[in-house]
Amino acid sequence: MSYTDVDVPNRRDKVQAAFRSFGEVAAAASVLNWLLLFIFFCVLLGAYHIHTMLLMGDWDFWIDWKDRRYWPTVGPIVTIPFIAAAQFFFWEKFRLPFGATFVVLALLVGEWINRYVNFWGWTWFPVNFCWPTEFIPGALFIDCVLLMSRSYIMTAVIGGLGYALLMYPSNWPILAQFHMPVEKNGLVMTLADLMGFETVRTGTPEYIRLIEKGTLRSFGQDVVPVSSFFAGFVSMVMYLIWHFIGRWFSRTDFIARI
Amino acid sequence: MKGHEYRRAGRSALLSISVAVVMGLAFTVIAITSAWAHGEKAQMPFLRMRSVQWYDIVWSKAEVKVGETVEITGKFHLSEFWPDSIGYPKESFLNIGQPGAVFVRKEVFLNGTFVPRAFTLEPGKTYEFKIVLLARRPGDWHVHPVMNIRNGGPLSGPGEYIKVTGDYADFTNTVTTLDGKTFDLETFGLTGIYSWHFLWMAIAAVWVAYWFRRGGFISRCLRVAGSPDVQSADKMISPLDEKIALGFLGGTLLIVMVAFTRTEAALPRALPLQSGLITIAPGDPAMNAPENVLVKYERAIYDVPGRRLVVNLQITNNSNEPVQIGELNTASVRFLNPKVMKDAVKYPDYLLAPEGLSVSDEKPIAPGETRKLSIIAQDALWDTQRLADIYYGTDSSMAGLLVFLGQNGTRHVIEIGGPAVPNYTNIGLLKL
Repeated sequence: MSYTDVDVPNRRDKVQAAFRSFGEVAAAASVLNWLLLFIFFCVLLGAYHIHTMLLMGDWDFWIDWKDRRYWPTVGPIVTIPFIAAAQFFFWEKFRLPFGATFVVLALLVGEWINRYVNFWGWTWFPVNFCWPTEFIPGALFIDCVLLMSRSYIMTAVIGGLGYALLMYPSNWPILAQFHMPVEKNGLVMTLADLMGFETVRTGTPEYIRLIEKGTLRSFGQDVVPVSSFFAGFVSMVMYLIWHFIGRWFSRTDFIARI
Repeated sequence: MKGHEYRRAGRSALLSISVAVVMGLAFTVIAITSAWAHGEKAQMPFLRMRSVQWYDIVWSKAEVKVGETVEITGKFHLSEFWPDSIGYPKESFLNIGQPGAVFVRKEVFLNGTFVPRAFTLEPGKTYEFKIVLLARRPGDWHVHPVMNIRNGGPLSGPGEYIKVTGDYADFTNTVTTLDGKTFDLETFGLTGIYSWHFLWMAIAAVWVAYWFRRGGFISRCLRVAGSPDVQSADKMISPLDEKIALGFLGGTLLIVMVAFTRTEAALPRALPLQSGLITIAPGDPAMNAPENVLVKYERAIYDVPGRRLVVNLQITNNSNEPVQIGELNTASVRFLNPKVMKDAVKYPDYLLAPEGLSVSDEKPIAPGETRKLSIIAQDALWDTQRLADIYYGTDSSMAGLLVFLGQNGTRHVIEIGGPAVPNYTNIGLLKL
């Protein structure tokens, strides 16, 4: 015999009796809504930020890593998993089509706190050297695709591809100015290269920069579209896999067993 | 739980939170003005003794103002006894060990070649370098030259404190592009960075707020849970919602497209990031010329209780002047023979044993003479620098630079190296 069987035979009545009016119910729901919003935001911020730092790391940290090949490839592929899982959760449980934007906004808030407090505040790396990658346009796009299509397959195919394709152009207005050329002791460098050289990172020697390497030259000098399309195709697969992980994390059947 | 127990628990929680907040503030707000030496002692002795042999390191100034430069110059010999367990120095980078971005690295030259990127080094060769640093942050900073080797890790040279005075607010770091535009790299591009990020975060916040205002989580969750099928739940999305979403979608794509196109038009000369290995110039031929003092390493014992290294050598002097042994430099620790050599460059105390080297036969080695002798490097630095663990590695060997001084002031720098046998008692030590 359980506690519930003995003490709360008419639990529904007791819950109803906890509120004296519909206004009280609405007020409690409102407080709970804001509390949930805060909790979801903080939990997703923490988890997504760790995930992104571990998997995208230097490509997201430094402007002399934001190249045409690996950055637009790695960025979307490693960030779309949380988007897929969050979209499933918010859509399936609440019919809220803001999963991607919500989780990416949380990520960016966390990243800006990290860049400003840690990178700048503690170790004095200039903010213009370590700003985070902008993912919000792609996130808005993929949210809208889910809303319009109401289909995870369509969201994976169209949304995943669009999310990856939008990353580079939506960051270029910020990044381009750092790609102006300078001459330093007879070498041509971009401003980003120069800042990477001048800003000493004791634990990050230049040779570990994984940029512009490989033989992806078949499409001439414009390697960004190729990298972005490749990232888009992988993002489609990642989306589908991680939407299942979102599904698994959104299970509530364990509540019935409590 | 009774009322007073609730109050007690509440007070405890409040106290805990207060302590946490105060400690958090203490750690974050209190300005840290100096940093202690760190790093290199954690590395196993063989890494430090048999990789990069730093020598003749000079810091041009001990104190500078914000915006002034300081130079670190010196040489290093890449050990002929390079450990098999670390990577061959195909990709190397001459770096700086410093606590955060306190100095700006303005120039780094290796054998006169500017090296902002990685390069290949060759074991057995000697290189000279010059690093120019621009003081950025006030404080006392411990600064090392560091050689990063891919698959070998950071190999620190000797470090020295440099005091930076003045105010960071006065610091500027200007650069002129090939288009002739001049910028301060400290603040360059910040407006664009903040504006774009703020704009997109504001749009995202509006999108989230729009949906959150339409019922929040609780009522929407109940409605979804109470819907008999998916289609019923989907009716929670109204035609107006879809129109607004279309507006967000169109607006997002329009902003991205316009901003991208305008940026492309405004900056047609933007280059891709530059990368690739840099080829080092050969440098001064005298640095790598064959020495005419020949040293044969015969046997070495590291005396554990005595904290001393005893090395038997056979030396042949083919030069035209008598020579004497003045110094053994290993792992950046200088063991000086006080009868021959004194520190002339204010070498960092924590790496200097001014009377740490003795020679079994101090008589100068005459031109043409071959002599067998022992050198004894003894100092507490074997312990404090954690070099005593030499006998605890997987390849119990040592290497270092032996410095000879000729009667006419000529200096001969020769690397010696080979196995080092530990001696745990004093028995048999003299039977070298």
